Amino acid sequence: MAERFMSDPIELPPASHPFERADLIFYGIDHFCQSYEARVFFDPRGVSHGADSTHRAFVGRFFIFGHNGCFGDAGHCKVPTERDPFDLRPPHQLEPALRILTVTDAVRGLLERELDAAKVTVTAHTAGKASDDVLVFDTVRLATYA
Amino acid sequence: MSPALTPAPASAPRRLRHRRSVRRLTAGQLADFRQSIEAAQSIGDERGWQSIAGIHGLPLPVSCVHHRELFLPWHRAYLYMLEKALQERVPGVTLPWWDWTANHAEGIPEAYSRKRVDGRKNPLHDSPIQPSGRERSSQTRTTRAPGPPGQLPSAEELDDVLRNPDFFTFQTQLESIHDGVHVWTGGTMESIYTAAYDPIFWAHHCMIDRAWYLWQLRHPGATLPTSLLSRALAPFPLTVRDTLDITQLGYDYAASTAAAGGPARG
Repeated sequence: MAERFMSDPIELPPASHPFERADLIFYGIDHFCQSYEARVFFDPRGVSHGADSTHRAFVGRFFIFGHNGCFGDAGHCKVPTERDPFDLRPPHQLEPALRILTVTDAVRGLLERELDAAKVTVTAHTAGKASDDVLVFDTVRLATYA
Repeated sequence: MSPALTPAPASAPRRLRHRRSVRRLTAGQLADFRQSIEAAQSIGDERGWQSIAGIHGLPLPVSCVHHRELFLPWHRAYLYMLEKALQERVPGVTLPWWDWTANHAEGIPEAYSRKRVDGRKNPLHDSPIQPSGRERSSQTRTTRAPGPPGQLPSAEELDDVLRNPDFFTFQTQLESIHDGVHVWTGGTMESIYTAAYDPIFWAHHCMIDRAWYLWQLRHPGATLPTSLLSRALAPFPLTVRDTLDITQLGYDYAASTAAAGGPARG
């Protein structure tokens, strides 16, 4: 888990490839945690954990409504690693979540600065306070749509 | 004539009921709604508030669908089940919606934030939580801890989401806004296990359902993959397909309504 996640540089689309929309897609978000707000920034410089939507690098936020704790017996909250294709029951409650943040203007701004890659910084906040034990996800991807 | 050949009786036109903004309810509409909630809270069996609120989280199993493809259909079915239960208590009542994109200075709408109304406890302010629905034994009633009103979603944020022509992108982004209002409201609403015991949960989800309806109107050609349409929305006796047309569920959304009687029959 991370207090302030910073990605490796993510390649930006070449300026010669115009797009109508750009999304940051967060895959594999764990939600076995307290509910939280994630604030997302391009360019980590000067992004403290308290940075908010007024920060120049802020590009958006997403929220996770979490399962905080388990009320079942042992194994109740363990997500099966494999699923029988004939299993018609609903999937496990804790299958990871996905969030899509539209960041079109922010990506265009980076391209205007002639950048070819950007790091994504994410901070997490629970009940209005910085939190270091909720933010977990597998991958963040930048997708553009022409 | 065999029953199979009996012509279907001309069906009487079914009267849709309107869900309205909680801020635009007339005094009588709000009083009826409060009465229906109070009556439901007094029933201890499966027709009552505790049983229906418990479907979402505790007691186990957690039946709600979050962070998955059936988030909107499941919650539409859930609202429908509570609304039907309330209509059994007070005929004609409908669930109101909380438009959290407007009146930010107010925060929680006054109908839900006042502790007492006309000298009596306001059943929309809070609710008991049954022992099997508690995360901890001391959690006997619902509570809230709202954030700064300015942090509620804006109309522009919602409009950006409504512009998505693809259902899954729209649903994922709307769910994030939904999650944010749960976080903003705080207290009981912040937990999947207990949120539905708070009366404001239903006004919040009514707004989410309305947003889906507005999206449907804006993108009439967009729909869900056919593979999802026959999926059951357990534990409700509805499939995804059953939830797509709200007029088939007997309701519509109106900003407000008012009525007057017609001429009496002679």
